[in-house]
Amino acid sequence: MTLLLLAMIACEKQSSRKTLESGQAVYYWRTDLRLDSAEKSFLAQYHINKVYCRYFDVVMNDDGEPKPNATISFSDTLPDSIEIIPTVYITEDCMHETHEGLAEKIVKRIQQMNETNDIKNVREIQIDCDYTSKSRKRYYQFLEEVRKFWGETLSTTIRLHQLAMEVPPVDYGALMIYNTGDPRKWEERNPILDFRDVEPYLRRLDSYPLPLAAAYPVFQWTYTIQGVRVDRTVEAEVILQVKKAMESERGDLSNLIITYHLDKENIERYKPETYEEIYHH
Amino acid sequence: MKKFIIISLMVAMTLPTIACGWYGTDNYYLFSPYTGQAFKDRVEKICNDNWKAYIGDTSDNDWYSFHADDVLKAARQKGDALMVSYVENLQKYLKCVSVERDKQYEWDYPSKEEIAAQQRDLKAVRTYAQGKTSSKLRSQHALLFMRCNMMLGQHQENITFWEQTASQFIETVYKDMMKNIYAGALYKTGREMEAGQLFAEMDDYESLMSMYYLKRSYQAISQHYKQNPTSKALPWLLTDFVNNAQEAADAVNGGGGSIGKQFIRDINNQESWQMQQFCEMVVKEGKTDCPIMWKMAKAWLEFLSDKKKDAVDDILAATKLDGTARMKDNAHVLLLYITASQAKPGQAFDDYVADELEWLRGKQNETTGDSFFDAVENRLTNQVLIPHYRSNPVRLAAVAKALNSSCSGFDLDTLNVASTEKFLYYVNSPANTKLDKFLKRNIALNDTAMSDMIGTKYMRLCQWDKAIQWLNTVPISYYNEHRGKEYLYYSMVRQWDVEPWAKRQWLDSSQAWERDYKWWKHRKLDFCKEVQMMENSLNMLNGKALEQRCYNLATRYAQASIYGDCWWLLRDYKSCWDSVRVNEVDMAQKAVKMLQKAAMSSDLSLKRKALFALGYRELYNDVKKGPKYWMEWKWVEGESTEIYHRDSPQFLAFQALYNETGDQPQEDYIRKCDEYDVFRKYYRQHR
Repeated sequence: MTLLLLAMIACEKQSSRKTLESGQAVYYWRTDLRLDSAEKSFLAQYHINKVYCRYFDVVMNDDGEPKPNATISFSDTLPDSIEIIPTVYITEDCMHETHEGLAEKIVKRIQQMNETNDIKNVREIQIDCDYTSKSRKRYYQFLEEVRKFWGETLSTTIRLHQLAMEVPPVDYGALMIYNTGDPRKWEERNPILDFRDVEPYLRRLDSYPLPLAAAYPVFQWTYTIQGVRVDRTVEAEVILQVKKAMESERGDLSNLIITYHLDKENIERYKPETYEEIYHH
Repeated sequence: MKKFIIISLMVAMTLPTIACGWYGTDNYYLFSPYTGQAFKDRVEKICNDNWKAYIGDTSDNDWYSFHADDVLKAARQKGDALMVSYVENLQKYLKCVSVERDKQYEWDYPSKEEIAAQQRDLKAVRTYAQGKTSSKLRSQHALLFMRCNMMLGQHQENITFWEQTASQFIETVYKDMMKNIYAGALYKTGREMEAGQLFAEMDDYESLMSMYYLKRSYQAISQHYKQNPTSKALPWLLTDFVNNAQEAADAVNGGGGSIGKQFIRDINNQESWQMQQFCEMVVKEGKTDCPIMWKMAKAWLEFLSDKKKDAVDDILAATKLDGTARMKDNAHVLLLYITASQAKPGQAFDDYVADELEWLRGKQNETTGDSFFDAVENRLTNQVLIPHYRSNPVRLAAVAKALNSSCSGFDLDTLNVASTEKFLYYVNSPANTKLDKFLKRNIALNDTAMSDMIGTKYMRLCQWDKAIQWLNTVPISYYNEHRGKEYLYYSMVRQWDVEPWAKRQWLDSSQAWERDYKWWKHRKLDFCKEVQMMENSLNMLNGKALEQRCYNLATRYAQASIYGDCWWLLRDYKSCWDSVRVNEVDMAQKAVKMLQKAAMSSDLSLKRKALFALGYRELYNDVKKGPKYWMEWKWVEGESTEIYHRDSPQFLAFQALYNETGDQPQEDYIRKCDEYDVFRKYYRQHR
């Protein structure tokens, strides 16, 4: 009887959590929105309906002030059927202290970029920051402010280790299922993604109260280890094994799937069947 | 207690310090087969000089920067209407450029209207400039025309204009700039090879890097060579490759320094080996006009890959091949570095090094605006000569002083005192060998400064008689003339007989500039004499007098330690990262020993003071074995956690004090100590 009650509570908890609309998405992380034919075909072939497009980074300048950097140019436009989600990457050190007005500046800049470049129907923005226990509180306060100035859907990226923290004040999180390993131990485990690094977080997935999209890696990782250049990619089997395990813990992770990131080389790295499986709901 | 530690740290950071936080990298690149003045710097300087001359500025300022208002004023005064219109349009153009910059780096992203206005203005300026390309200021207007085209993305138009018109203009800096824009247009329209040739001819490294950023591998360079074995971009690409290989090798050896260096690419052993084979093939093929460059690249790559013998053979072979004078000098440098780093100690090597150092100095004097030979001397000194002479302290000190070594790990201030005395004798005696002659000629020593240094080194060893002997020869005026205001202020105001555990002598360093503080008595000498007298009479005392003397001596040792208020006794400066160094006694631990004796006193007041003093955390900063403090914080799973060390001497002292005074001590100095207060709260619950 007790077990049954617990199960019911658990079901109730799960059902009370909002779920995301089904969709297929990509991150776009270059400094010029210019798509070649392979990239355009990819968007069509996999019915991509959302592009999380990095608009600019926010970094600390020499005067200790956060400033925009590496702003994107818009040489191309996306098809009307695709929703663009302006994404801003903020370096963690920007959150080491409070910067008055930062949230408003970011929102206004995004809005101005949309207006100047005729980007319409933007309903959501995403903020990406590798926040830690040191910067979490300030980051969440910052997100509250962004939400106030933005007024529409706000999402943020969530690293696996951040699942252990209090949830951020956003509408949903994009769970980054990559960069899971220690780059210094690249010979032992793939630092982009290794099932053994994901496993400890699986149990936290279902109880995490925020709706989550799942972002999987298709990129090549390059790192300098003691002067030696190291390149790594993830085997398709590993991505799919992780996806299966994640979705068996939390079914709604298959609702909105993102790949990081749209690029001709990444498209060619995996077979179409792999992409079909990654995007399979 | 957190407050207590933070305040201590803040105060320490306000003390006179040397700039030890950042040093420039000393892993200068040794592969430098050609000289060139970077395009951007060169044209900017000439343009600015032209503006300076136009406005009639005859000041000695080496660097003038363009101010449109100044030029317009001068032009109007001269009645130069053409220049007025040119500068007005140039201003408009520069405003258009700033809109682009705002797009990238400013919070105010330009609006649609601003971009439309930018495009409009660019077109208007372009039309204006095009109309003046036959005027008296034709070169300037033609450049403005091409700049507008570049911003508007009309690259083909720039190609046509350059080829049909601007290339016929007379040689000016404006023509150089147009040619640069032309090269950019070639690149933008897919004519990469031609663009690369032009950028290389112009020493435009930024553009070359943008073009070849992803084409700098062995594979890419070898393909480039196959297309054009005498391509002007090849020396640049090869230099980039070899220097990146050096960067990678230096990083492995812990000597890398990427600070300030851009575009570093890591070269692994496999790729380096492929390039070595390729260099050999290029030399053998005979298609290159500078075989020496390829051969010395091979030798240097071999050396960096730890194939020292092959490196020697190849660099010797390189010196016999054809190339420019600079390439021959570069081969000479590499031969010196490669052979010196493998040489055995001995007279023959010393003589060789002396000749080579003379040659290097000669080259440094010959060349202006190129610091390559200075960089060679720096790297050779720090990475070859200092390690080579490590076992000969006097020669080591001489090399370091004569060649202005920094970042080599050698510091005369920490050399043991016996060697320092020998070094002083060496410098003041006649030279017998070639190397000694070179070194002594380049060493500038101040004998008084050396006497102070040696005397201070004896102080650090608590050898007061020898310290007094040396310091006696140092006049008070020396300190007043050679020490900074903060040092003089601290050393005049702080007293060594104040118990640091009872009262910190906090000072406001800004006061150092309020008054002219000068020594009027020899503070160091006085300290030595006082402590010497106190130590010498220890044997004559007993009972309370002895215990009190121990306590008083402990006060002086603690003050003289690097953590004391009178750190200036043993050091010329202090930073918050300082600790007890080699060749010096840990004064704080010496104080602890004296306090332990005082704590045995039957005089309750003295006993409590000594126990309280033994709880002073600054006494344990350099403890090597066991825990330093009774309590510390550690990060455990992202949280700050308190860790207690009940076996630490600080804990034992506080515990003894607690047992002695009970939970409510009467003495003000104990009650007011916030660290002890924290201890009491803890100990009450965890006895």
